[in-house]
Amino acid sequence: MSQDSYRPSFTLSRVDASVAQPVRLFFASAFLWLILASIVSVITAIQLKDNSFLGGCSLTTYGRLKALEGNLFAYGWVTNALFGLNLWLMSSLTRFEFKNAWLANLGGVIWNLTLTYGAIQIVLGNMNGLSLLEMPKEVSLASFVGFLLAALWPAVAFSRRPTGHVYVSQWYILGSTFVFPITFALTHLLVLWCPAQGVLQALVHSWFYQNFHLLWFASSAIAAVYYFIPKESGRTVAAYYLSTVGFWTYFLFASWTSPASLLGSPLPLWIQSVGVVASLLMLIPLVILSINFLGTLSWNRGLSQSWNNTTLRFVLVAIFALILWGALFAVFSTRGFNAVVRFTSFNVGLEHLLSYSFVSFVIFGATYFILPKVTGSFWLSPKLVHLHFWSSAIGTVSLLVITLVAGWQQGSGLRTDWPSGIFPAVLFLIGHIAFGINAFGMLTAKLSSGHESTHA
Amino acid sequence: MTDQHHSSDQPRRPSAGDSVSDSRLVEAHSHLARDKEEPKEGFSLLPIVVVFIFCGFGFWAGLYLTRNAAGFSPSAFDLNAPREVANDGPKAFEPDLAKGEKLFLQQCASCHQANGLGVPGAFPPLANSAWVKGSEDRIIKIVLAGIAGEIEVNGMKYNGNMPNIGAGLKDAQVANIVSYVRSAWGNHADPVMDTKVAEIRKAIGSRGQYSPKEILEQHPLETK
Repeated sequence: MSQDSYRPSFTLSRVDASVAQPVRLFFASAFLWLILASIVSVITAIQLKDNSFLGGCSLTTYGRLKALEGNLFAYGWVTNALFGLNLWLMSSLTRFEFKNAWLANLGGVIWNLTLTYGAIQIVLGNMNGLSLLEMPKEVSLASFVGFLLAALWPAVAFSRRPTGHVYVSQWYILGSTFVFPITFALTHLLVLWCPAQGVLQALVHSWFYQNFHLLWFASSAIAAVYYFIPKESGRTVAAYYLSTVGFWTYFLFASWTSPASLLGSPLPLWIQSVGVVASLLMLIPLVILSINFLGTLSWNRGLSQSWNNTTLRFVLVAIFALILWGALFAVFSTRGFNAVVRFTSFNVGLEHLLSYSFVSFVIFGATYFILPKVTGSFWLSPKLVHLHFWSSAIGTVSLLVITLVAGWQQGSGLRTDWPSGIFPAVLFLIGHIAFGINAFGMLTAKLSSGHESTHA
Repeated sequence: MTDQHHSSDQPRRPSAGDSVSDSRLVEAHSHLARDKEEPKEGFSLLPIVVVFIFCGFGFWAGLYLTRNAAGFSPSAFDLNAPREVANDGPKAFEPDLAKGEKLFLQQCASCHQANGLGVPGAFPPLANSAWVKGSEDRIIKIVLAGIAGEIEVNGMKYNGNMPNIGAGLKDAQVANIVSYVRSAWGNHADPVMDTKVAEIRKAIGSRGQYSPKEILEQHPLETK
């Protein structure tokens, strides 16, 4: 599973070198936030079982730590990692040599400093009541600037691309690069700065939440999957002509799915029904993605070949997670099933399936591929890679089984308690520490010889 | 392994070796996106199946929205609400004076004039007329069946012949005209409903014009 085949070619390394600094910064901050979020998630998992645990101090009560965990995971880990991943991927595909790396660095520093400030405010209890918008509203201005500086470079790289074919990964990256700031700005405006009245606010929030997960997280991850499959397997994408349809239907339906999470609320009936329809029509892009991904990988004993490749092993798990998510999401958006699992741990499971089992696994796989290219050194220990993979995989499967089954039971009136997630939370922490040791080993190996600073 | 023997549904190997360069990767896919399939024996099942499945989805989506969106009404919130509310139900008739005026100008104003004063000696006035302002049955009957013979209106005698204008109009149209006439030019009588028109139309059936005498026997002029 080590990167034996890593032989940088001359042109690639020039492109890689030009983006190396910001990519290392984004990844290093992402890993730190990930480990912090995993520690917090172990604490909150214990608190759900024993609510006196660390409950004596208001700073560490469940309500604040749960919000902290969600924000660190979404804005600290996934978003930082996607900054780095999208930038590296777009630069590689367009052979773009990045001249203004310091601007992206600046953006990364602003983003992470505002996140630190926002996280402290959450712990102090100064937060809003909408998930992923908990940070106080003054944070949104600074993090918006940080985002523009950090994350719009894929668009610049794209606009300077050599003429010719635009590969499907580039579409998805470009789409997510534009969707995030628009969604972010509109939502903060309509929810925090000049709040919309009544039910519209809930609609805007759910739209933000869904766009953030589907069109920022998942869309960037899909771009990476489209890249790593042909890259690592050495094959072209199966039924590639379908990928255009997949892209447009994905972006068309994804942003309409949010009202399905508000079924039964005082929203006009037609908005709710359109949400249900869009959630089911998400099966169209998901069928296409499955054909593209699995068709390529399964052809000619490709699955066993992928299993023996570090990056593709993570990506493979991620693809199955995406397919499972799409099926469950479509089925449980329909009115009958939705009525059973609404407000249960089932939704926790669905969200975990998308943002961890799919998106985070893609990022893990991508990191194992990219980090050697931007640090010039190798992964410290294949054993740690195995430890990371297995603890994350077992953790994610057990968390899914626990939350989905318990959610169904809660909804059917078969149980009233909330399931315990301590076991998966501990597994995640172990895996992420293994991942962190490996990653920081590489980053600091480079540091000891160079003078570049990473975020600390 | 050469490219010609593959359907485009299947992956190909753009190059030997496990890892491909990025430019090779993009180039290989650009061929896939650009090149037309060579005609060959048999056909690939995948595209046609995909198209059928997606059409099925689209059909279902249309069906679902028709049934569950309450006609895209902004005020329907509950799928389980009674049907009438969800579907906007049959609307109650409300006399529409604007429509009544429009119909009056088309159907009646050539004789009675747009100002409702008629033509002295030829056509009786409607403004401030006891025939108009009193019983709604009387005016509806006249509009539906017409009236002919010597008639005295506001102290002046006329010998006119009014055809059965209302016979060719719908109940709601007649109700709109009558309501307009009863409220215009200083008249202040109540509007009439389409159900009333329908009721009278059914009661009088198909008949010839009334004479003033006959209708006054049924509905004498009210004394103020």
